[in-house]
Amino acid sequence: MIIQSARHPLGSWKAVLRRAQQQQQFLLRTMATATTTTITNTSIPPPPPPSSKPKSGWVKSKKVKFHVIKSTVPGKPIRTAFAVYPRGHSARAINPEALKTFHAQQIKRLDKTGARTALFSKANPDAAKPGDVLQVTTNRGGEPFAGVCLSIRRAGVDTAILLRNQLTKIGVEMWYKVYSPTVTGIEIIWRRPKRARRARLTYMRKPKHDMGNVDHLVEAWRRTRNVFTSGKGAKAGQHLGRPGKHAKGKRGR
Amino acid sequence: MIQLKTMLNCIDNSGAAIVECALVVGQKRHATIGDRIVAIVQKQRGATDAGMGAASAANKVKRGDIRHAIIVRTKKKVQRPDGSVVRFDDNACVLINKAGDPIGTRVNGVVGAELRRRKWSKILSMAPTHA
Repeated sequence: MIIQSARHPLGSWKAVLRRAQQQQQFLLRTMATATTTTITNTSIPPPPPPSSKPKSGWVKSKKVKFHVIKSTVPGKPIRTAFAVYPRGHSARAINPEALKTFHAQQIKRLDKTGARTALFSKANPDAAKPGDVLQVTTNRGGEPFAGVCLSIRRAGVDTAILLRNQLTKIGVEMWYKVYSPTVTGIEIIWRRPKRARRARLTYMRKPKHDMGNVDHLVEAWRRTRNVFTSGKGAKAGQHLGRPGKHAKGKRGR
Repeated sequence: MIQLKTMLNCIDNSGAAIVECALVVGQKRHATIGDRIVAIVQKQRGATDAGMGAASAANKVKRGDIRHAIIVRTKKKVQRPDGSVVRFDDNACVLINKAGDPIGTRVNGVVGAELRRRKWSKILSMAPTHA
């Protein structure tokens, strides 16, 4: 240390400060464990007892026990300075499905009507599936993004969809969070006539399978929707509707 | 993830077709949409196999030129503040001069909307669409 201080004049100060800090800590330690009679200089203080205790079912008389070791004198074991505290209750025992509840609560908060949940629910036969063409509208302005759904990542409130389209002959892929407050609308533009036999249609990135631009599908969908809205029933054939004309033709073969 | 030696498409009409990244300006990490790089023109637009003919007369840059460029599309996913993610099928850039003005006069192809946040509005206004 002397050599060090000769080299770095400030080094010695640092050392002094460090030592002072250590001493302070040590003093605190001895004071904290002063109630225990058996104390040695090398004893490590017991870990602080858990501050937050569950309200009921918790042992009220939380007595600190000390670790005991055998001694040579039979019947007189040696009590050590190491305190042994009763084990705290695990959070899982109190709330076994905390994460599930949290997801459910968040989904309820972000999707009040339950429409989004239904749109991607596996139980719903009219749900959007990989291979369908979807359109996502955001409140960020700009054009809504339409594209073929390559995959649905189901992860509670983090559920997201991957849409692919070609803009100016360049493939563009967008991930959207289904429950995001910035996503104001998700609509099914076109349904795949036959169910995709994969959950993730990554092969559709290959030129052989690429759908290309889906603008013609969007245009056709918009036209049908305009017919419906100008006609009598605005509710028919919309976003949770049955398969379009294309799908019917294929099915009836 | 644009770094040293990455080959990018140049999507403006400056005359470059393919450029190679030589340096990411101002940071030590890989570059993404909206970042500035130094690029070397590797292939000219309109240049035939026999050599540079009359077609390259209108080109503002030629093969071997070292220019600054702004990345406008990446194959690597880029996350937006709202949690959505965008990814393009290629890496593309637009050449600029030292002052930050585009060398070309038009941009062919979609560009990332991250350019707005990075204040490259001149490129954004030249692009036909942004995603």
